[in-house]
Amino acid sequence: MANSAALDLSSADKPKRSWPKFLQGETLVGWSFLTPSVIILFVFLILPLLMAFYFSFTNWSGTRPLDQPDAYQFVGFDNYQRWIIDGRRTDDFYRAVRNTLYYVLGVVPVQTVIALVLAVIVNQRWLRYKGFFRTAFYFPSITSSIVVSFIFLFLFSAGGPINTLLQVLNPSYQPIAWTGNNDGLIHLLLGGLGITRDTAGEWAQARILGLRAWDWIAGPSVALSTIMALAVWTTTGTLMVIYLSALQGIPSSVYEAAEVDGATGWAQFRYITLPLLKPTTFFVITLGLIGTFQVFDQIYVLQNDTTARTTTSVAYLVYTTAFRGTSPNLAEASAIAVVLFVIIFIATLLQRRFVGGDQAEY
Amino acid sequence: MMNKKRLFVGALALALSMTGLSSAQDRVVLRVWTGSSSPVENEFKEKQIAAFEAANPNIDVDLLISPDYGTQIRAAFASGDYPEVFTVGQFDFPQWQADGLLAIGTDKIEDAEGIYEGLRAAFTADGELYCAPKDFSTLALLYNIDAFEAAGLALPDETWTWEDMAAAAEALTKDGMVGFSAAADKFRWMAFFYANGAQLFDDEGKVAFDSPEAIEALEFYQSFVANGHGKLPSDLNSGWNGEAFGKGAAAMTIEGNWAIGYLRDTYPQLNWGVTEIPLAPNGGRGTLTFTECWAVSSRAQGALADAAWKLVNFLTGPNDDGAKAVAEAGFGVMPARAEFGDLWLSTVGEEYSAFVKGAEYAVAPIFPLGFADFDAAVNEATTLVMTLEESAEDALREAADVARDINGE
Repeated sequence: MANSAALDLSSADKPKRSWPKFLQGETLVGWSFLTPSVIILFVFLILPLLMAFYFSFTNWSGTRPLDQPDAYQFVGFDNYQRWIIDGRRTDDFYRAVRNTLYYVLGVVPVQTVIALVLAVIVNQRWLRYKGFFRTAFYFPSITSSIVVSFIFLFLFSAGGPINTLLQVLNPSYQPIAWTGNNDGLIHLLLGGLGITRDTAGEWAQARILGLRAWDWIAGPSVALSTIMALAVWTTTGTLMVIYLSALQGIPSSVYEAAEVDGATGWAQFRYITLPLLKPTTFFVITLGLIGTFQVFDQIYVLQNDTTARTTTSVAYLVYTTAFRGTSPNLAEASAIAVVLFVIIFIATLLQRRFVGGDQAEY
Repeated sequence: MMNKKRLFVGALALALSMTGLSSAQDRVVLRVWTGSSSPVENEFKEKQIAAFEAANPNIDVDLLISPDYGTQIRAAFASGDYPEVFTVGQFDFPQWQADGLLAIGTDKIEDAEGIYEGLRAAFTADGELYCAPKDFSTLALLYNIDAFEAAGLALPDETWTWEDMAAAAEALTKDGMVGFSAAADKFRWMAFFYANGAQLFDDEGKVAFDSPEAIEALEFYQSFVANGHGKLPSDLNSGWNGEAFGKGAAAMTIEGNWAIGYLRDTYPQLNWGVTEIPLAPNGGRGTLTFTECWAVSSRAQGALADAAWKLVNFLTGPNDDGAKAVAEAGFGVMPARAEFGDLWLSTVGEEYSAFVKGAEYAVAPIFPLGFADFDAAVNEATTLVMTLEESAEDALREAADVARDINGE
């Protein structure tokens, strides 16, 4: 709004010219400053995006030279049919969707809540050594995710520290290979109640979108839960810093007024801090959603052949389809990537409805 | 003014030399790309190229050893501007051949008969040999000598059968050790698949992946885990078979000759031996082979193509700097020419002869083009069977049904 107001002023000063609006005065200057990043955005982001969309309707293998006349043919919705609608790979795709959904639903709320709590704590006036705690909580975020993944691989290995610790605490505990275990948490819970695939009844065998209902409700596997713990640990720090800066932007006069009115600490948090942090929460959840839907590097490191079924995310499936296996296929990978884009887009719109991104008013 | 002109001439010369145009007419620059492996092997490749350049003063080689070869060369292929000579793995061959990227080598590769038949087969399509295998690996049975002696068992040899192996695994499973480390990898159990006479397709071209022989092979491989005489490497706290075997968590495993260097370096105390994969009930032998070749670009023409084939023959031929040098270097991989098998053994050690013997009957486990979905189905079947979630019969039938669907049966 401010931008166009300035524009109106400048055009009011000068005699009318026939130049299009974006070539006038400050707008022109603005655009010329933006040009480098616009070019970079276009070449490395917009163009690949459009190309992925385009190639998702072809049968281009990714290796056939594009200057050959027969480099690719248009195959319509074949790739989508094969992976998403009713083809041979739908079970792989929906399994990846299931894994990703459990991952998102597990990671986003947990990391958001922990980040908020940590931010509130390190923002307290009574806390000593604030600098130390702020650095300590932020540290995992600036460490390479590959390195952190390898550390987790070691921590959770069958003879690793986590198992040793559990064994010391509870001598009857049998060590398990955390990163190699495919059992779903909900399945384990149901198993504890005596419900298995065979005793669950007819509904469990019903096939919905390529997977049995029983497999849909599996919950994140133990291996995936390990990766989720890793993700929470590494990203919480970044989100904490975002919350922290928002907290420090809330004027202390608001709290002082509340104190005069007799509001308790909890009431201040509930009725002042939380509402004023709403735009930040929207931002943090959006970041979390997009980041978790695209989870790739931790899975790249922590996955092995046995856990592929319960840890492959949609983004990782795009990679394996494009570059791994007997015949990598870029067109099919593009189709999956386009669907992932649509899923993230819808998820962001939905959460905008529920959380809302309106600017807070003091 | 003078300065500007000089600058211009200098820049022009630089540009020309970079594109290789400044050299005389008969001078050729070959772009050669390959993937990076161990530092020793990279150094070996550089030395081979240097020897070639010394022998052919009119050919310059621009060598790229890429740490991310697969991605890099795919991008080059897509652009249409790709190197004249490059390496091709056996699993990439069907696609790259179909994409028209490779020149036919049938009349260009010298003394092709000297190369193991199984390796040539991996790079043959429509009756034409496309590229020259440079080296290869096979699978064999690795065993822990100390564990066998402690259990009072005779060491395995080439007369061993599946029954012997199962009995030994049972006897060896004690004191925190299991008999067999069994990776959930189709490229392990399929050695038993081929040994047992199973095939992907029968003589009429119909899918035979769930034949009784195939089921028997996978059931045998699964039985170690099912009855507790074997475990997956991940359940042995290891990343792969070699590690589980090396740290003494398993007394036997199936691995390739790449494990030799690893075990020597990482577990020098380990007292181990190697023999051929045991005989199937029908007396059949089987192992898998993994190989790579040097190929020439289909876009290289005239003098460039001649120079490219000259280089490929130099790198893979029976000359001193080719297959013979691979044998003498004595690292993980074996020379692709049978005549140098003994030379390789004399470099690395006679005790590893099982790997060389395997070359006679080894199969390169390549699925035909268009069977990517089947490939994925076999991976899934292998995992389900090895985690004991499904029977070998059911899993193989489901995978075979995918292949039948692709095959239009």
